[in-house]
Amino acid sequence: MSPEARQDFAFAFLSILFEGAPFILLGTLISGFIDIYLPKGTMDRLLPRRTLPAVLVAGLLGAILPVCECAVVPVIRRLVRKGLPVSCALTYMLAAPIVNPITALSTWKAFKGPAVALGEDLTLSASTVMTVSRLGIGFLVAVLVGLVVARLPLHRVLRPRLVESVGNDPEPDHDHHHEEGETCGCGHDHAHDHAHPHHAHEDHPPRNRVVAAFRSALRDLIDVAVYFTVGVAITALFNTGIAPGARWLATLADDPIAAPAALMALAFVLSLCSTSDAFIAATLDRFTWGAKLAFLVFGPMMDVKLIFLYQTVMRRRFIIGLALGLFVVIGALCIGWQNLIAHAAP
Amino acid sequence: MNLVLQRSLFSLALVCWGVVILYFHVSGRIVKYLAPDFRVIALAGGLGLVVVGLFILLTARQEADCGHDHGPGGHHDHESLDMHPLVALAILLAPLFAAVSWTKDSYSLQALGAKGLHDSPQQTAGFLDSILPPLTREIIEQQHPPDATGHHPFSLIELFFSSADSEMRGLIDGMKVTTEGRLVSIPDGPPDRRRLYRLFITCCAADSRPVPIQARWDGEVPAIEENAWVTLSGTITYPDEGEGPVPLLEVSRTEATEAPPEESFMRGY
Repeated sequence: MSPEARQDFAFAFLSILFEGAPFILLGTLISGFIDIYLPKGTMDRLLPRRTLPAVLVAGLLGAILPVCECAVVPVIRRLVRKGLPVSCALTYMLAAPIVNPITALSTWKAFKGPAVALGEDLTLSASTVMTVSRLGIGFLVAVLVGLVVARLPLHRVLRPRLVESVGNDPEPDHDHHHEEGETCGCGHDHAHDHAHPHHAHEDHPPRNRVVAAFRSALRDLIDVAVYFTVGVAITALFNTGIAPGARWLATLADDPIAAPAALMALAFVLSLCSTSDAFIAATLDRFTWGAKLAFLVFGPMMDVKLIFLYQTVMRRRFIIGLALGLFVVIGALCIGWQNLIAHAAP
Repeated sequence: MNLVLQRSLFSLALVCWGVVILYFHVSGRIVKYLAPDFRVIALAGGLGLVVVGLFILLTARQEADCGHDHGPGGHHDHESLDMHPLVALAILLAPLFAAVSWTKDSYSLQALGAKGLHDSPQQTAGFLDSILPPLTREIIEQQHPPDATGHHPFSLIELFFSSADSEMRGLIDGMKVTTEGRLVSIPDGPPDRRRLYRLFITCCAADSRPVPIQARWDGEVPAIEENAWVTLSGTITYPDEGEGPVPLLEVSRTEATEAPPEESFMRGY
């Protein structure tokens, strides 16, 4: 790398890092405290019994239980084993990283500045348009996936071992017996009675939960910051024209179909956290709003790291189908959205 | 890796991130990187990273858990990572330290070229359409009272934007103006012309775009160092040279000048 290229890379890299790091810290602190303090069974209690309302509510749960896409996979794995409907679990898994206040805040901040004309008398800030559109399309796609999954047999969606454990007590290691509906005083839900003579109850009074919450936040922060750093480095190389292919990528920026496809592919490779990816998208200034929106909706639902995480819950064939389906549906929605914006402009 | 060691190393990594952000803030260099409202957020983030890092470092040896069990065969694990801790540590710190040592708080001309320095204003001015307020003759006269030499001071961004706005062009075509920016040569351009530019930042330096106009001297171009700051005075015109009207300053006076405190234009400022 030439001295000029180093200088350019460093300038772009640091500026994006300075911009995104505070939001990563905020998001992972909240995630860490949720991890430690959120009582078990909270989601079960929040969901209606009927499928459609349950899927719709699951798509909105991220608003009160904000987690990023990395943190959500272990959560839904545990919830599925506890008997949460798979359709609701997958809806929550896809929606929560997008439909949550931290992602909304970072998207709003990242796109602050320009305005989007939606008619002769209607002009909205890009912050509003991009934030509402991102959350809306993210919610819509997650609910669609949930409704499709509700019609599929479990064995086509979940890993065989998880299918076997669905509905079974995930925590058989309790040495006491209590009746249905009775609380045991340990602070956890026990959907049915169970008695195993060979082991002891593992719950115990928490020690230093604040410290535990900060450590959990640290784990999340490091995981997210690693991917963020790699993503920022790659973006800085493209942003300043250093990366091979940067000029080629720039030529796609105005193409109504290739641009969203290219940015979805970029989001897949970069594996950014939803709490900070808007700052990357905002720097892709040659691309259309629709392409940026595709980047912001597709990335939190499907990327390289998620492929590995999803395999702890779902069958490979289903994951491939999900990835292709998301690519096509989100791409189509964002191309349609871009056309609407273009037609609305005076 | 031992958990206490892992916590200590990662907390130090957090402190490093925080200290770098705080250093750029305290030294004033942050103005080159972020728009004003992001600087406050970055300051809060830098302080937060340092505080959280120190807290975890100081409590690294304490016993702590969440108080709930983790299912069959489960163990209390809220700290395992996707990758080896040393690899994660290297990714977190190596690019950061490299960037801090390499940065000159600005882009090279090569990168500015990739960002559109030499593009026609007709192609690139569109990104500003929605950002700037509408201008009228009254506003121009109120906001640009002439200096002692009769030249109206204009910011470069106004002159750049004016080329894509027929109403604005009509208002100031032929006006005597003075403006400041950085002067660079034009690749394969006429010998009597240079490009005068400044950067426009929406949020951070990565999304910055050059806003350039052309300057022409009647006679020999003064010897000015490439990319140096200058104040140019002259008459603004909008010749159409095949790519639509472009802002061209017919220079009558050239002065080398110091860089302003805010070298780039910032959104909302």
